[in-house]
Amino acid sequence: MKSHRSPLLRGFLACAAVLLVIGVADAALHDVLAQNPFGAPKSAQPAEPEAGGLIGWLLAKQSEFYRQMSSTIRAAKSDGSAVWTLLFISFAYGIFHAAGPGHGKAVIASYLVANRETARRGIALSFASALMQSMVAILIVGISAWILNATARTMCKAEGAIEIASYGLIALFGLRLVWVKGLTFIRALQAAQPVPAMAGVPHDHHAHSHHQDTHDHQHHDHGHAHHGHDHVHDEHCGHSHGPTPSELAGPGGWQRGFAAILTVGIRPCSGAILVLVFALAQGLFWAGIAATLLMGLGTAITVAAIAVVAVSAKDVAARLSGARDGGGALFMRGLEFGAAALVLLFGAGLLLGYIAAERTTCF
Amino acid sequence: MRALFGYLLVAAMMLVSGAASAHPHVWITASSELLYAEDGSITGVRHAWTFDDMFSAYAVQGLESKTKGAYTREELVPLAQTNVESLKEYAYFTFAKADGKKERFQEPVDYFLDYKDAVLTLHFTLALKNPVKPKQLVLEVFDRSFFIDFQMAKDNPVKLVGAPSGCQMKLERPSDGTATAQKLNEQTFTDGPNANFGMMFANKITVDCP
Repeated sequence: MKSHRSPLLRGFLACAAVLLVIGVADAALHDVLAQNPFGAPKSAQPAEPEAGGLIGWLLAKQSEFYRQMSSTIRAAKSDGSAVWTLLFISFAYGIFHAAGPGHGKAVIASYLVANRETARRGIALSFASALMQSMVAILIVGISAWILNATARTMCKAEGAIEIASYGLIALFGLRLVWVKGLTFIRALQAAQPVPAMAGVPHDHHAHSHHQDTHDHQHHDHGHAHHGHDHVHDEHCGHSHGPTPSELAGPGGWQRGFAAILTVGIRPCSGAILVLVFALAQGLFWAGIAATLLMGLGTAITVAAIAVVAVSAKDVAARLSGARDGGGALFMRGLEFGAAALVLLFGAGLLLGYIAAERTTCF
Repeated sequence: MRALFGYLLVAAMMLVSGAASAHPHVWITASSELLYAEDGSITGVRHAWTFDDMFSAYAVQGLESKTKGAYTREELVPLAQTNVESLKEYAYFTFAKADGKKERFQEPVDYFLDYKDAVLTLHFTLALKNPVKPKQLVLEVFDRSFFIDFQMAKDNPVKLVGAPSGCQMKLERPSDGTATAQKLNEQTFTDGPNANFGMMFANKITVDCP
C-alpha cells in the first residue's frame, strides 16, 4: 500500500498542500488583518465581503434562530410547551453558530492535525470544550447577575478579561505546539537529507527507554514528571515513524487534551450570555440554562464534524504520501508544523484584534 | 485526489469559520433626523436607536429602579453616559460625506435613554464639526464588524428638520445580500481605498439639494 506513488499523485499532493497552506494562511491572516481593513482604528471582528451564498445563508439562519429565542423565552412564561421550541431553536442556533475562531472550531481542527489525534478524540474534545463553554457562560451569569446582581457593565468587564485570557491561552498553546512541532519538523528535515530516514537506531533506543521511564515514574508521582517525559518522547520519536494508536491513547493523552479543552472552552459565547441574562430578567433562568446547554450541544456537533473531516483528510494524506517514507514523513511533519503555526496565528490574531474590538458587548 | 478534496474541504471550512464569526448579537432599529440651520446648512444628526429586547434586558441588568421592571430617564443616566462613551470608539456608527468629502462629528450632546415596553431607546445628537451646505449629503449608519445589525425604522426612518425646500431624501436599506453585494463591487471600484466591506449592511441616506 505504501511504497510507490506516481509522480502525478505526488504532484496532486503538493498542490493540495499549497492549497491548504493558502487557505489556512488566508483564514489566519484574515483574522489578523481584517481587524484593521483600511488602517482605521475601530474595526472589530472580520466582516466578510461575500455575504451571499453559503455564508450569507448561514448568517441569515443564525440571526433567525437567535432572534426567535427572546420571543420564545417570553412565551415560555405563560406556555410551558414553548420551552420545547426554545430548546429546539437553541440547538439549531448552536449548530449554525458553531463558527468563528473564538469558538475554537479552527483551533480544535488545527490542534488535531498538528498533534496526530484520532477522530474519536476529536469528537470527545469538541464535546468537552463546548460543554465547558456553556458552563462558563452559565457560571458568569449565575454568579454575577443572579447571585451578586451585578450590572451589565461589571459582567462585561469580567467577560472581557476572560476573553483576553482565552486568546492569550490560544496563543500560548500555539506557541508550545509550534515549538514541539518545529523541532520535530527540523529533525525530519535533517533526517531526510542524508538518507531517507527509516527507523534509525537512536530513535528506537530513545523512544523505548523513555517509554520505560514514563511507566516507572508514573506509579510514584504523576502530572509533572510524567508530562515532561511525554514531551521528550514526542520530540524524539516524531520524525521517523508515524503515530500508532497506542501512542495516541497512551498516558498523558487526556492531559494534553485538557489543555485544548481549557483553551477553547474558557471563552463564553456572547450570545449565550445575552440569552441567559434575558431569561433571568424574565424569571426563567432555568430555561436560559437549558437553552445554553442545548446551544453547546449544537456547537459540539458542528465542531466534531469539522474535527472528523480534518482528521480524516490528514489520514488520507498520510496514507497517500506514504507517511513512513522519508519524503512522506517530511511532508506530514511539515503539515503538522503548519497546523501548529495556525493555532499560534489564531491566538495572536484574536489577541491583537481584541484590543481594537469586541467591546461592543459592553456598550 | 481524496486528499486534495479533503484539504479543500478543510480549507473551505476554515474560511467559513472566519467569516461566520461576524454575525449580529445586537439589533438596533434606528430613526434619524438631519438637522438644518436657517441658512440651509446641515448642522448635525439626531439619532433614536431602539435596541432589541434581549440586549435591552442585558443592559438594564443590575440597575436599581424604584419601580421593578420600569426605569426612569434619571435612573438610566449612568447607562446612557456609558453608551455614548463607548460609542466614541466606533465613531457612533455614523459616517457622513458632503459632496464626497468625509465630515467629522463632535461628541454627542443631549443624550438620554428611554425604557418603554421592555426595550431601551438611546437618543443622542451628533453635531458636525463644521456645518456644511453640500449639493449631496450621504449619511451611512452601520457597524462594519456587523456585531450590531442596524435597521432603519419602518415608519419615518429619516426626517429632514428645517431643510430648504427642494431637498430630496433617498434611503437605501441593506435588504438582501446579493443586490447590495453587487453594488458594493462597483463602489469598491470607484471609491478605491475608502471602500469598506461592512458597507453592505449599511443604511445609506442620500440628500440632494438644489
